[in-house]
Amino acid sequence: MLTYRDRIDTMRRTKIEHTLAKRAQNGYTDLDDFGTVPLPEGYYAEPWYNSENGSFYGLDGMSENFCRVLAAHPAYVDPMEMLCGRWRDMLVNYRGDVHYMPDWIKKNEKLRNFMSSGVTAQWSKRWDEKRFPYDDLKPLQKLYNITTGIDGDAHFACDYRIGLSLGFGGLLEKIRHYRGVNCGKEAFYDAEERCVLAIVDFIDRHIVKIGELLADETRPEIKESLEKMKTVCENIRLGAPKTFHEACQWVAFFNCASRIYTRDGAGFQMDTVLLPYYEADVKAGILDDETAKFLIANLLLIDPHYYQISGVDEQDRDLTNHLSYLILGGADMINISCNLTVRVHENCDPAFLRYAVECLFRHKNGWPRFCGDKTLCEGYMRNGVDKKTARERIAVGCNWMAVPGKEFPMNDTVKINIAKVMEVALGEMRDAPIKSTEALFALFEKHLEKAVEVTAAGVNLHLDHVHEVTPELIMNLMFHHSLEQGLDASECAELYTVGVDGAGLAVVADSFAAMEQRVEQEKKLTWDALYEALQNDFADERVRAMLQSTPKYCGGGTAADAWAARLTESFSGVVKAQKMPKGRQLVPGWFSWARSIEYGSVVGATPNGRRAGEPISHGANPNPHFRTDGAVTAQASGIAAVQCGYGNTAPLQLEFDPKITIEEGGVEIVMQLIKTHFLQGGTLININILDSEKLLEAHENPERHPDLVVRVTGFTAYFASLSPGFRRLVVSRFLEGM
Amino acid sequence: MTTKALITDIQRFSIHDGPGIRTTVFLKGCPLHCLWCHNPETVSFSQETFFYPEKCISCGKCTQGCYSGARVVCGREMTVEEVLEEVKRDAPYYGCEGGVTVSGGEPLAHRAFTLALLRACRAAGIGTAMESSMYRHDPEILAELDLLMADIKIFDGDLHRRYTGMDNAEILANIKKADEMGVPMIVRTPIVSGVNDTADNIAKTAAFLKSLHHVARYELLPYHPLGQTKAAALGQDAHVFEAPTKAKMEELQVYADLS
Repeated sequence: MLTYRDRIDTMRRTKIEHTLAKRAQNGYTDLDDFGTVPLPEGYYAEPWYNSENGSFYGLDGMSENFCRVLAAHPAYVDPMEMLCGRWRDMLVNYRGDVHYMPDWIKKNEKLRNFMSSGVTAQWSKRWDEKRFPYDDLKPLQKLYNITTGIDGDAHFACDYRIGLSLGFGGLLEKIRHYRGVNCGKEAFYDAEERCVLAIVDFIDRHIVKIGELLADETRPEIKESLEKMKTVCENIRLGAPKTFHEACQWVAFFNCASRIYTRDGAGFQMDTVLLPYYEADVKAGILDDETAKFLIANLLLIDPHYYQISGVDEQDRDLTNHLSYLILGGADMINISCNLTVRVHENCDPAFLRYAVECLFRHKNGWPRFCGDKTLCEGYMRNGVDKKTARERIAVGCNWMAVPGKEFPMNDTVKINIAKVMEVALGEMRDAPIKSTEALFALFEKHLEKAVEVTAAGVNLHLDHVHEVTPELIMNLMFHHSLEQGLDASECAELYTVGVDGAGLAVVADSFAAMEQRVEQEKKLTWDALYEALQNDFADERVRAMLQSTPKYCGGGTAADAWAARLTESFSGVVKAQKMPKGRQLVPGWFSWARSIEYGSVVGATPNGRRAGEPISHGANPNPHFRTDGAVTAQASGIAAVQCGYGNTAPLQLEFDPKITIEEGGVEIVMQLIKTHFLQGGTLININILDSEKLLEAHENPERHPDLVVRVTGFTAYFASLSPGFRRLVVSRFLEGM
Repeated sequence: MTTKALITDIQRFSIHDGPGIRTTVFLKGCPLHCLWCHNPETVSFSQETFFYPEKCISCGKCTQGCYSGARVVCGREMTVEEVLEEVKRDAPYYGCEGGVTVSGGEPLAHRAFTLALLRACRAAGIGTAMESSMYRHDPEILAELDLLMADIKIFDGDLHRRYTGMDNAEILANIKKADEMGVPMIVRTPIVSGVNDTADNIAKTAAFLKSLHHVARYELLPYHPLGQTKAAALGQDAHVFEAPTKAKMEELQVYADLS
């Protein structure tokens, strides 16, 4: 008889096979694993383009293509599992964004021909520039290397309680009810209805598939499991989930749908939202803890959405409960790319925190990660938000938080490369009669203001029109006021606290410090010599070494630390001061996501000794060799000191091999590190505790460790799936931490 | 007069030099001359220069300062206050376990500085530890310690003299005196192949330690060849030893049990 452990082991093996097959099918993927499975042979979904721009937009375009792609998805049922459903393809693949286009589309001649000819005169685009052009913004967006957020999707969070309490049948009733109430909104409700019906059809196909598998199944325990799975699916195809098992299955289907639609990866406060189902089942005697853990493991396998666990309520009471432990237990069983974030606070259950760190230590797979309640909550309240709402704002993305069902933050989609802003300022100072770091900083601030202003214009364009381009038909279902008013989430949010991240902090801080020391204080270099060196990309290696060897940001009490603090104050001040219409406001943070290579490629040589085109620094992290001892405490303190202070993050990205075991006190050391970073003002720790031998072996030959998971930035990915460039990035960050 | 010492390095997030998260201060100068020393730059009491030829960019401007990392001056004179400032940076991380570890070189050879630094750390509420050969007895310094990490490199006196340049009778006596003072201790032996990697050596050391009352642990540390690279960078002829195998370490561990 197969035990849960046997089944989990098989599920893990299947996952490894899928990871390798996906790489063969899609090429390298420098993105989240997403939990997808490989496409079946002959998979084909033909997109419907409704725009001369060569793409599909709006209510009809999005709903029609969602239905087509979902219909093309075969049912996925693995008898080893208790839950079913997987996703494989997403709408954005058909909108021509080369950043996301997988190899299988590029290799599919029929599809490629369709997408690049006939109805479309060009490759389709995600944003409908014919109707909503922004050519006037483009020159400055390019000048300052701004990631605009225009054409971004998802990056907000659903209130899962809405969907779980109504079920798909209840959502259909709600849609039909409000269609009658809100005259003139028929197109909106029609589109919503089509999407929900497509999801119900997707579930129905799973019920059929389970039936087929049941007919051939001989193992009694698996037969029983499949019968249960079938009943669960039948119950939730329209009905609201009533049991823990049904709630998990409902979430699995919803997540497949929302991923296919806009890659949405925002989960929910898992231990709180699922608790009533767990407690009721235990009381009724129909659920034991081992089964609960298996179901959680299964859900995490289906899709590594970002879930928060533990935390604190409005009255500062710890929210850790028995289910919090079971969730970690489920992740502990399956040990894949689990995107669990533990919220750490003053009254945190120490045993729970210890268990979380033990998981990190034992598996060395980059999960869980940790966020700090104090600075996040207090900071978000500085935007004029009450404490209850600030506490509801949970970790649901790479670097970002959102209030589920209420906030439309565009988090992680809007970024300004401040290394580029400094380059522009340096260019302007070149012909100025007086050159100094103070004069440069004034110019930097002037250009930063321009950069933020043009960023704000882009954000406003997006917010004003995204409902006509990419209405969020799936996430709307669980967004407050959306179905009630017939409005897209982008139109009816209670909070528009839009995240604007700065990227390249360490490059700019170290550059200012190097210029201050070598040019102004020591007079080892003249300004002209510095400009010449930047111009010729450090033809004289000695000049580069001179600039590169000054004390760096995160060194501890260095001039560069002081510059980083000043840059943070400036960036935060300029972003917060930007006037926004309609109750919108901008919220500053430091984060580059996985774009440090891309951002660096457009920035020439910088005064910190960085050569032209080299990657910029990662997020709020320091530059390589920031200290000879690479002390993570120095890094943690340095990053705690550059938090922007309004509830968005400047994550501490840590990679290290402590060369110390759990028995030798390793867990206590990491717990101390985490707690102190948050006490000092830190907001988020993306942490990889790695086995140096395994990582270096995998770097040489990824096939040797196809199960190795790394937290690249906020997201986790299978190391074997990353491109060589990204693998190098992770390895060099890690070597820096040794 | 402000007390100063030559410091080779101050290492933050030091997690292998005592319990918890620590900052380790390496003092320059040691009266012992262990042939396997993994910190050869801390033996001389004078400033030295590392030379790493692979980092040299051949700019020909050595006298105007080297920035490439090819020539690195080893040993910076620092006051107790300056060192304390560095040690305090990680104070929020120390908790009740961690703190400062004064190491070397030999902290007891820098008596005035070590004593002043330990007292200053205690006054600042920072836990104190010292790594020492215990070549001399210094009750004032010992009184300032929360933990002493002492080495018994070789139990046999003749061999000890041959490989370290100093007899160990005094060292063993000083460890005993520290024990009589009630100083919590961890005693370590660096295991060097062909030198002290015998069951007899470890068993005798363990037997000696069993007669003491405040030894929390006896640790065997495998020799590692890091010192050879540094010795080469200092222009010294390094003695080459083999690192002990994992099996050897496990075999010797049996004899190191104090229970």
